[in-house]
Amino acid sequence: MTQITARGWGWRHSGRRAWALRGVDLDVGSGERVLLLGPSGAGKSTLLAAVAGLLDPGSDGNGEQEGTLLLDGVPADRARTAGVRAGRARTGLLLQDPEAQTVLARCGDDVAFGLENHAVPPEEIWPRVDGALDAVGLGVGRDHPTARLSGGQRQRLALAGVLALRPEILLMDEPTSMLDPDAGEQLAALVGALLSDTRATCLLVEHRVAMWLDLVDRVVVLEPGGGVVADGPSSEVLEQQGAALAARGVWVPGHLPTGPARRDSGVVGEVLLRAENLQVSRRGTTEPVLSGVDLDVVSGRATALVGPNGSGKSTLALALSGLARHTGGDLVAQPPLLGEDTRLAAEPERWRPRDLVRRIGSVFQDPRHQFVASTVSDELAVGPRRIGLPESEVAARTDDLLERLRLVHLARANPFTLSGGEQRRVSVATALATRPRLLVLDEPTFGQDARTWAELVALLAGLLDDGAALVTATHDGALVDALADDVLTLRSAAAMTGAAG
Amino acid sequence: MTAVDLLAGAADTDRSAPLARANPVAKLAVSLAVSVALLLTVDVVTAGVALLLELACLPWCGLPARSLLRRSWIVLVAAVPAGVVTAWLGVDSGASLLALGPVTVTEGSVTAGAAITLRVLAIGLPGVVLLATTDPTDLADALAQLLHLPHRFVLAALAATRLVGVLAEEWQMLSLARRARGLGDDGWTGRLRTACGQVFALLVLSIRRATTLATAMEARGFGVTSQRTWARRSEFAAFDALVVLGGVGLAALATAAGLAAGTWDLLLS
Amino acid sequence: MTSTEPRETTHDATRPSAQGAAIALTGVVAAVAIVVAGFPGEQTLFGSDPTNLTVPAALLVALVGLWVGGWTTTTRPRWRVVDIVVASVIGVVGGFVFFAWNAAWLPLSTGLTFFPPASGILVGVWLLPGVLGGLIIRRPGAALYTELVAATLSALLGNQWGFATVWYGFLEGMGAEVVFALLLFRRWGLGAALGAGAGAGVVVGLLDAFVYYPAFSPGYKAVYVAATVVSGVVIAGLGAWALTRSIAATGALAPLASGRDARRV
Repeated sequence: MTQITARGWGWRHSGRRAWALRGVDLDVGSGERVLLLGPSGAGKSTLLAAVAGLLDPGSDGNGEQEGTLLLDGVPADRARTAGVRAGRARTGLLLQDPEAQTVLARCGDDVAFGLENHAVPPEEIWPRVDGALDAVGLGVGRDHPTARLSGGQRQRLALAGVLALRPEILLMDEPTSMLDPDAGEQLAALVGALLSDTRATCLLVEHRVAMWLDLVDRVVVLEPGGGVVADGPSSEVLEQQGAALAARGVWVPGHLPTGPARRDSGVVGEVLLRAENLQVSRRGTTEPVLSGVDLDVVSGRATALVGPNGSGKSTLALALSGLARHTGGDLVAQPPLLGEDTRLAAEPERWRPRDLVRRIGSVFQDPRHQFVASTVSDELAVGPRRIGLPESEVAARTDDLLERLRLVHLARANPFTLSGGEQRRVSVATALATRPRLLVLDEPTFGQDARTWAELVALLAGLLDDGAALVTATHDGALVDALADDVLTLRSAAAMTGAAG
Repeated sequence: MTAVDLLAGAADTDRSAPLARANPVAKLAVSLAVSVALLLTVDVVTAGVALLLELACLPWCGLPARSLLRRSWIVLVAAVPAGVVTAWLGVDSGASLLALGPVTVTEGSVTAGAAITLRVLAIGLPGVVLLATTDPTDLADALAQLLHLPHRFVLAALAATRLVGVLAEEWQMLSLARRARGLGDDGWTGRLRTACGQVFALLVLSIRRATTLATAMEARGFGVTSQRTWARRSEFAAFDALVVLGGVGLAALATAAGLAAGTWDLLLS
Repeated sequence: MTSTEPRETTHDATRPSAQGAAIALTGVVAAVAIVVAGFPGEQTLFGSDPTNLTVPAALLVALVGLWVGGWTTTTRPRWRVVDIVVASVIGVVGGFVFFAWNAAWLPLSTGLTFFPPASGILVGVWLLPGVLGGLIIRRPGAALYTELVAATLSALLGNQWGFATVWYGFLEGMGAEVVFALLLFRRWGLGAALGAGAGAGVVVGLLDAFVYYPAFSPGYKAVYVAATVVSGVVIAGLGAWALTRSIAATGALAPLASGRDARRV
């Protein structure tokens, strides 16, 4: 008896012109483990939300539906409400953003939340909570505040919340894309163990295929605005469709993108920024998270800041970009960076914003933090206008950047409506608009698909060849291999330098 | 002391102190009783006695005086100007002490000013104590289980409260991002425009976060039915009734003192 | 049988009911009665007796009556979970803004001490979350709930008015709600926004004039109320309307009622 049955199913979100999916025909049996693949925007999250019964096609709902999607013969949304009323969840959903799934302030309460909603008798709730917390190996007590959990721990907590409900179908929407690689691997191993124990059906959406391949037995490929393009055992589908998928941005093992060859211009770079015995602390605290950092930022060279979670990579990156004060040591901008302005202080943190944007460009981990205008082309024009360029020059630079980053068709769009990859390109473009000599990036490849990754790396390599200096704080080993000339490995309260090839 | 610390109930309070352990609804009732009693009149004696009695109860609240001061600084800072404005511009009576154009300070207006200041403090204090000694989750449980407020609204508000810390961090990042884009050194109007833009960005990000949170909550079965069990029971015990009586008594005592001193003046006639 | 009524453009069928009108009328009559009883004889509204809770009481009764009247007249779509959570979060952001504005209010209003009633011009910020909540969520009670959450958070974070902030929040929210109710919860455009801002402004003006500044002279009180109304219309009404449109343009409102009117992207 198949558990999930879709016949000609389609969905269009309200507020969107295009259909997310159309004509999906799918059968998933009990206990099967399916990996859903497809380029960004292929409606994979929509399908998961539909199976979870969260899409409401009614007049007051969030979109329009075509065809049928049944769970054991019952429409998915009715299955969800029936499950809640019966006290037994049909599906459990694990989302991408660890922060967005935490509901309550204490770990035990958060796991108990789902049980309370399903009207589980109070005397059963806490034993199940404890059992779920043990099963995911979270290692903290019931009263531990959720605010103090790391990303990986939060995903485990969310998983505990889902498991406590003992669902028949486990749905996971890119659960590791916002975690660092180690935490991601641990989560994948945990899910594997749990699925073997509970024999639940699993529908998984993921970009990073490699770490999940052992877990799944079937791969289904979806098409944006269309239906199922391929469906079969994992090895078969990946062999047939591997190249096509990789071209559309999926991280297919064996078709992984690599960076372009770096042009060795033979020119010795100039030192732009010098850090000596630098000490930085997190905002609002006095205790240093890093100390004794010695670093020369040289034009034409890329420095990667690597280290485990909490080692202070982002804090150091903020200090280097003049956005945060350092609490000890020296951070001095050298003449090539200072330019002709003789009144400028030596430390970037004391520069006025206008002087800063001309010299150092910053790219944040979440591109949406940096949006200040209502259209993409206005966004690109903000920087040049702030430094006082004439309108003709502003327009020229804007057009050039739109071309280089393939954003021309999005020039009049609101930045918030763009996809993740497009938003990343816009945020990099805005940092480049003022032609700074130093570019500081915080996790630029976070959560990006393979295609955007390749484009970004090519762009950054081009910038390096043109003489800019780059500093990136990153977890991404592939990025470090592709670009970094120097690697600074950080451990808390200390730093070691190493040169990389 | 940041907003986040205030809401999280920082570690400087002793949660096992008698009044801190009382049911949140009881503490709410006390705040209510006191504020109603004090809103009915503006006089020095009532407000002063109420304030004294509240301060006398402080040791039982598990809130050290120093942390009380830290948490109520804005109440303190604002109480004074309110009183001063009244002293300067309020209704005049009694001997005149100072006259400078529209500013007329008389005995009567000084008394009224002092009364306003004390009243602000006396009304503000229970609220500060309430916040400092109550965990938001416990408050939500009490509101939903004891007062039978609709659980969807109470829990959604609680979940939103948890986001306060996250939103504070987002705000920091938004500020840094604006500096990195070259904004923020324009002077008064420029800063205001940047600030408004920042509030807009925070709203957009918050609403996005809210819709994702709503999806996560619904995926865990929230909002389908009003039949719901509670993992943490909120109970109103005899002790809590005693606390409420104590609060009502405090309000009554302060009012009686005002009546006895002849300064009490009901605002309803 | 063909209908002779004009085609409705919205889903809600709205028949002006006698019941709703009756409730509204009762509220207003009761409020007037309170005012008449509270100000016997020769005393006028802004009259010589400065400390008087009659007006807030009458205000409460009138507002509740009008709101219930509007509420019973329309068919009411149920609040969905996403509506509640978004309204709560808007309220939380509002509470934050209040916290900052409370601190800023002190120096700003001190700057206006040469003419104290002018400080009424600053109150619009406190009315903004309610109107914004109403425009974004578009459900009965949205303005009230959002304003209440913002006021409660502000009270908990600590401000100079303490628990009274919650009362204020309730009445300010009702001020905006009543205007939406009079429009039968069907109009959510610029006019409704300005009206709601004005409604909230009137409420806070009257409240402040009688509860917080009881010692002002009648003339000052009248000026104060005028200032708060203007502030409500401009900052809360126009501001919330503009904010809603800008937020809708980012696509963030797609799951909500207000997003369904936006252009498809």
